[in-house]
Amino acid sequence: MSERLNIVDHNQLFRQEKYVRQREGKRAFEAPCSPEEVTSTLEYTKTKEYKDKNFARTAVVVNPAKACQPLGAVMAALGFEKTLPFIHGSQGCTAYFRSHLARHFKEPVPAVSTSMTEDAAVFGGMRNLIDGMENCIALYQPQMIAVCTTCMAEVIGDDLSAFLANARQEGALPEDMPVPFANTPSFSGSHITGYDAMLRSVLETLYNKSGRTPQPGHELKLNVLLGFDGYTGNFAEMRRILGLFGVPYTILGDHSSNFDSGATGEYSYYYGGTPLEDVPKAADAAGTLAIQQHSLRKTLGYMKRTWGQQVSSVSTPLGIHATDRLLEEISRLSGREIPEALKQERARILDAMMDSHAYLHGKRVAMAGDPDMLIGLIGFCLELGMEPVHIVCSNGDRKFEKEAELLLKSSPYGAEATVHCGQDLWHMRSLLFEDPVDLAIGSSHLKFAAKEAKIPLLRVGFPIFDRHHMHRYPIIGYQGALNLLTQFVNTVLDVMEEQAPDHSFDLVR
Amino acid sequence: MEAAVPSGRLEISCGNKIPKSTPCPRPVPGEASGGCSFDGAQITLIPIADAAHLVHGPMACLGNSWESRGSLSSGPELSAYGFTTDLGEQDIIFGGEQKLHESIHYIVSRFAPPAVFVYTTCVTALTGEDIEGVCKAESERLGTPIIPVNSPGFVGSKNLGTRLAGDVLFQHIIGTTEPEQTTSHDVNLIGEYNIAGEMWYIERLMQQTGMSILSRITGDGRFREIGWAHRAKANMVVCSRALLGLAVQMERKYGIPYFEGSFYGAKETSYSLRQMAYLTGDRDVERRVDKLAAREEMRLSLELEPYRKQLKGKRAVLYTGGVKSWSVITALQELGIKVVGVGTNKSTAEDVSRIAARIGDDAEYIPEGGARQILKTVRSRKADMVIAGGRNMYMALKEQIPFVDINQERHKAYAGYDGLLSLAKQLVHTLQHPVWELTAKLAPWEEETEFAD
Repeated sequence: MSERLNIVDHNQLFRQEKYVRQREGKRAFEAPCSPEEVTSTLEYTKTKEYKDKNFARTAVVVNPAKACQPLGAVMAALGFEKTLPFIHGSQGCTAYFRSHLARHFKEPVPAVSTSMTEDAAVFGGMRNLIDGMENCIALYQPQMIAVCTTCMAEVIGDDLSAFLANARQEGALPEDMPVPFANTPSFSGSHITGYDAMLRSVLETLYNKSGRTPQPGHELKLNVLLGFDGYTGNFAEMRRILGLFGVPYTILGDHSSNFDSGATGEYSYYYGGTPLEDVPKAADAAGTLAIQQHSLRKTLGYMKRTWGQQVSSVSTPLGIHATDRLLEEISRLSGREIPEALKQERARILDAMMDSHAYLHGKRVAMAGDPDMLIGLIGFCLELGMEPVHIVCSNGDRKFEKEAELLLKSSPYGAEATVHCGQDLWHMRSLLFEDPVDLAIGSSHLKFAAKEAKIPLLRVGFPIFDRHHMHRYPIIGYQGALNLLTQFVNTVLDVMEEQAPDHSFDLVR
Repeated sequence: MEAAVPSGRLEISCGNKIPKSTPCPRPVPGEASGGCSFDGAQITLIPIADAAHLVHGPMACLGNSWESRGSLSSGPELSAYGFTTDLGEQDIIFGGEQKLHESIHYIVSRFAPPAVFVYTTCVTALTGEDIEGVCKAESERLGTPIIPVNSPGFVGSKNLGTRLAGDVLFQHIIGTTEPEQTTSHDVNLIGEYNIAGEMWYIERLMQQTGMSILSRITGDGRFREIGWAHRAKANMVVCSRALLGLAVQMERKYGIPYFEGSFYGAKETSYSLRQMAYLTGDRDVERRVDKLAAREEMRLSLELEPYRKQLKGKRAVLYTGGVKSWSVITALQELGIKVVGVGTNKSTAEDVSRIAARIGDDAEYIPEGGARQILKTVRSRKADMVIAGGRNMYMALKEQIPFVDINQERHKAYAGYDGLLSLAKQLVHTLQHPVWELTAKLAPWEEETEFAD
């Protein structure tokens, strides 16, 4: 059918005159104050006085910018082959995690729940867990079940390790089925803490099960950890870089194929992930390279302590300096030279940065996101001559704050920046009005504040619900720097064109 | 204070007993499950656009869900803000009531809403916070209604949450205000959430026949307006069986007759408008509805003609929550589509009997099993498409099956006569996209191999 889709949806409908009139009519019922009062109040919320009041707020969070631990645990679980995320608690949480991840990656997300209800709240959730194990094995045939908890199970104090032992005793859970578990209540930490807890548990469980003793350095390969990473493209880029080095490696927690599978005509619950047998072998590797720090603290600690691994961790390698460091670390850990191809690539990206520098130089930016991502973004912005002004990190702690401030001090472009840990996007809104900036960088959640402040949002991070396919492009490494640069500069150019008067609507920019 | 309703009106109502519905099937541990009661309560109440909605619990109950529903507002947008007390470990141990007090106070002093809804979550229900007490104290102190919503996730399904939210509306809000004026043709819509602006289509139809919506419960709703819902002449329960209890309670207390209806499909739309007119008891309005229905159905059947041709005989698997399963079936049948599989995992026994009345034994009933079961049905019944919600969208696309989103996150309105037309267009466009041709064919090199064989 060649006819164009021309359905009057609410957007057009609303501009029709009768709806405009109707809306006016409705106002009588909904706003007892005058339009002038609405305008003046709106203006008041953009003032410094309001900002101070907003920042004095202690009890309530307005427009949160973080997700909870089990969401991260589900992502960590999906980094391993034929692994079923299993969430112990009431069922709604599981639906949230599945929707949340599905909306970001545009992929189906397998995860099951023990569906605890009121009786489980009173008598404990053991029965649910045991029945759940039996059911999910029958329905989904996993090789490993990764169990995490919700608030409910944590508040009533369910003892996972005892329950799992009972499940094995009852025969609901086969003896040889590995079941890593993590306690992941939402009332502490965030999705990155949950990611960390589950990843650590998977490594520990599979390693202990193998009965090996670690022989660090026995094998000439690297362990690579990407952490809570919303970009499947980053995994591909990491593989490409390591491939150019010719370094053998194992990615621990590779969720990229589960979140970026092809439409082959046959749906599967499991599309890939790190093979389970690779985990115990990873203890013998020459070294471990992590490209996130804050979301991998427990895991890296475990690898250092128990496996005796030589561990090197950097924040998300965005931009030139951070990528240089990444390559140096790979080179150091593997003993191999930095490949010529990557050196050329670096020069090309520098060329691209010079091509675009005039448009980005001096642009003031506000950003919100996860700690590792923010450190990477700050670094990249400083390289581009952009000035980070407001940095909001809902799940950042003192350690992150210090690291961010140190990085900002390293450049004159960071002189104006302030770092706000534990704050939300309503704080960010105040910041945007009180001290305006040119651009915002962050997840889709930031779009509302950005729209109000009339600045474009550069979507970087997690979650991105309202744009397609961004996660398929890497943002790490030199290639990632080029991708981000392209996104940044073209957004600035789009805005320029939109606002350009006729006499300045140029062909060449 | 009882509303004046002409006596005798009740005999024509659907019934005045609390429906003896068997509860929705209990969730099975170890399956991929749907939402929870907390979610259900939010879906029902969040469309009250001018109120503030504060979630008392850890941040993520809200953080994972705010701004992700499709209910639209024509004015205030306070309900789009995500407010939460963000409880941490210390609050779990020592209690979070103080934080709740302060949060309510902050919201009322900074945002001046007509009311604040305070939602219990699993955590605050388990730690035994006295949310009712806090709400009562703050209501008195601030002079703003602070309304507790006791629907923690673990008490059960999404439908139960909707029902609990209905109780909240009945106990705390309905009957608290008086409308400035009423007419003899005022109807409340209950359980219409204005997804993608659907209520506006319905409102337009009603206006054409001289009827009007007194209270929108709750799509595009306003707090004060729901307060005067008890002055309506009739209630229509739109596609949400879980809110039937509210209609029954309103009938008992205020004598407002109610009926259940849907706006999916031309027949259902006409039926609902007729029933509405009948309950308001005005012959003129009834005549106008008859005229409108005849005119619209005629117009629609002409406009649908080209789409019906394309859709005739197409087979669909429908997997959607609760009552939508039966009401959408009618709409699809009007378009000539055969429903060959239908999900019943969230439907009550009454819903299932309605489904049966529409498709009989011809279709596969999918009570559970999620993705795999849907796909099995698609294959065994040779379906052309899947019509479901967002969580099942991507698995259908993996199997290269055309998919139409019917649930709350969608951006297209399918209600009313025009809605059926947009549904038809959407279905045709989905089925005819060139990508299906691409996926149906082998890659050229695969074809060559076949020749070589």
